[in-house]
Amino acid sequence: MLKYIVRNMWRRKARTFLTVFGIVVGIFALTVLGGLSARLTQQVNGARSWFTSKISVVPEGSSLFGGGEGYLPLSKVDEIEAVPGVKSAVAGFGLTLEKEGGGFGSPELIVGADLSRSQDLLNLIEIGQGRILQEGDGGKTVLGSTLADKFEARPGDTVELRGRPFEVVGTYKPTLSAVDGFAFVSYKDALDLFRLANPYFQVEDIAATIDVIPQPGVDMEELAQRIGDEVPGVRVISPREAERQISQFSLIFNAILLGIGFIALIVGGLSIINTMVMSVSERVQEIGLKKAIGAETRSILSEYLLESSLIGLLGGLTGMVLGVAAIVLLNRATASSNVTVFAVTPTVVVGPVLFAVLLGTLAGVFPALRAARLRPVEALRED
Amino acid sequence: MIETRSLSKVYRVGEQEIRAVDGIDLAIEAGEFLSIVGPSGSGKTTLLHLLGCLDTPTSGNIVIDGQDASSLSPVELTRLRRLKIGFVFQEFNLLPVLDAVENVELPLRYQKVKPAERRRRALEALEQVGLAQRARNRPSQLSGGEQQRVAIARALVTNPALVLADEPTGELDTRNTCLVIELMRDLNRQTGRTFCIVTHDPVVAGYTRRVITLRDGKVAGDEAGEEAELACESQPQV
Repeated sequence: MLKYIVRNMWRRKARTFLTVFGIVVGIFALTVLGGLSARLTQQVNGARSWFTSKISVVPEGSSLFGGGEGYLPLSKVDEIEAVPGVKSAVAGFGLTLEKEGGGFGSPELIVGADLSRSQDLLNLIEIGQGRILQEGDGGKTVLGSTLADKFEARPGDTVELRGRPFEVVGTYKPTLSAVDGFAFVSYKDALDLFRLANPYFQVEDIAATIDVIPQPGVDMEELAQRIGDEVPGVRVISPREAERQISQFSLIFNAILLGIGFIALIVGGLSIINTMVMSVSERVQEIGLKKAIGAETRSILSEYLLESSLIGLLGGLTGMVLGVAAIVLLNRATASSNVTVFAVTPTVVVGPVLFAVLLGTLAGVFPALRAARLRPVEALRED
Repeated sequence: MIETRSLSKVYRVGEQEIRAVDGIDLAIEAGEFLSIVGPSGSGKTTLLHLLGCLDTPTSGNIVIDGQDASSLSPVELTRLRRLKIGFVFQEFNLLPVLDAVENVELPLRYQKVKPAERRRRALEALEQVGLAQRARNRPSQLSGGEQQRVAIARALVTNPALVLADEPTGELDTRNTCLVIELMRDLNRQTGRTFCIVTHDPVVAGYTRRVITLRDGKVAGDEAGEEAELACESQPQV
């Protein structure tokens, strides 16, 4: 049966090829975008668990993903800590690990945390080896798991951050979140690194974000509201607000993905329908013959459905393989700058192929029904 | 074997009513070798389609092997065709993507015969029509006469009680016509299967034992006689 169907497809090589190629293009796009989306989802989920575990205070006009300008004065830390329900507020100052950073997704950051007040922030993450950063740890760093892997660093080793040597005192366990790409240093070291890179800026006593750890049992949403009310000139991002911003971000992306899928659906589906309708028209007499010698309606139906789903499968497999190949190549190209743009997950591989087969089968329904419903006498009469 | 009672098939074209088959009573015994002749439009192909359960009559009955086909559903008709009837068509109707033996296997496939058994029986049928050595050739690599012999093998492979042939020699030259008719007659004699051949060629009809003539959907003549002697030239004509 399958052999026969393949030979039938081979009969119209050019047409079959063109139809399959149409599917290939659609599935290729779907796979690559799927890889992009998968990578983004990984990062968004990572960001989610980090950002929703605390309240972030940023300069007015900023969002979770930066884009704002300016910094907060350190004096805001005191103001925030004065708000009832706040256990501690930690000033943070981050800069990208690479000078020419600003890659894709969550970048690798050097994060300076003001430990003079509290170490609560750093306790949010589980330490793997060594210890967490402590007050007075100048020239020392604790690495997130991704960075630790990248530097192949263990406690006691020395790594270079922006050209300056830092002693690794600890590494965190993987959290699958943005934090894995952080190198925590003291607030003072982070500020020094910033001054080194921007010699003309006179910065003193500033923070990019202030992370707020609530007292046990305090509702974080209410607390965020209270901070916003009582501390002027800041933007407070509560866990729920963070969740909203993150969701919105992935929502837009998924909508784009869905749109591409929809276009693939229409273009690919129509071209399969067209091809199959032509195949059926060409083979009306053959269908008549088969029915005359005893083929059941069901067997004609399944023959044509199988043919169209095979077109879908061929196009889907080819498109997926090309897509994954493109992903691997693109990832390799960006590997030198230590950015991973695409992820290949089981869904990225299996999803588009399943989609293509389903598409092929669905597109085959109408032509196959047409074939199966032909009456033998009329079919045989046709020339 | 086959009996029809006031068998009619009426087509409606616009306002006009065409009585393609008009009240035909016919009895065909098992093992007969007969032809149905008549001018074009006389209803012979329609009658053949009715006999072959490819079409259902407007009125009247058709009984095949004791089973009244006029009351059967399309599914049951398919089953009846599959088990009892073999078809040979003017244009051979071989599937171009299948080779000879695969074409012959096709009806067995629909009978859900196992592959090995299928292949054995198909090769046997090709042997019967003298084309065993052409088993792996596609139709495009066979001559018209050879293609029709493959089609005959396909009709025979299921051991049907009845073989219906619609203008089986319509596309063939004189020599191949002779060979095909000779083959069908030999098979009729050897296996006792009923052969019913629709033709407009009086020469072909002359080779059969019984000739039914149709005119305007009615039986205009039904003669039994001696079949003419067949003497096919052994060399192809140039």
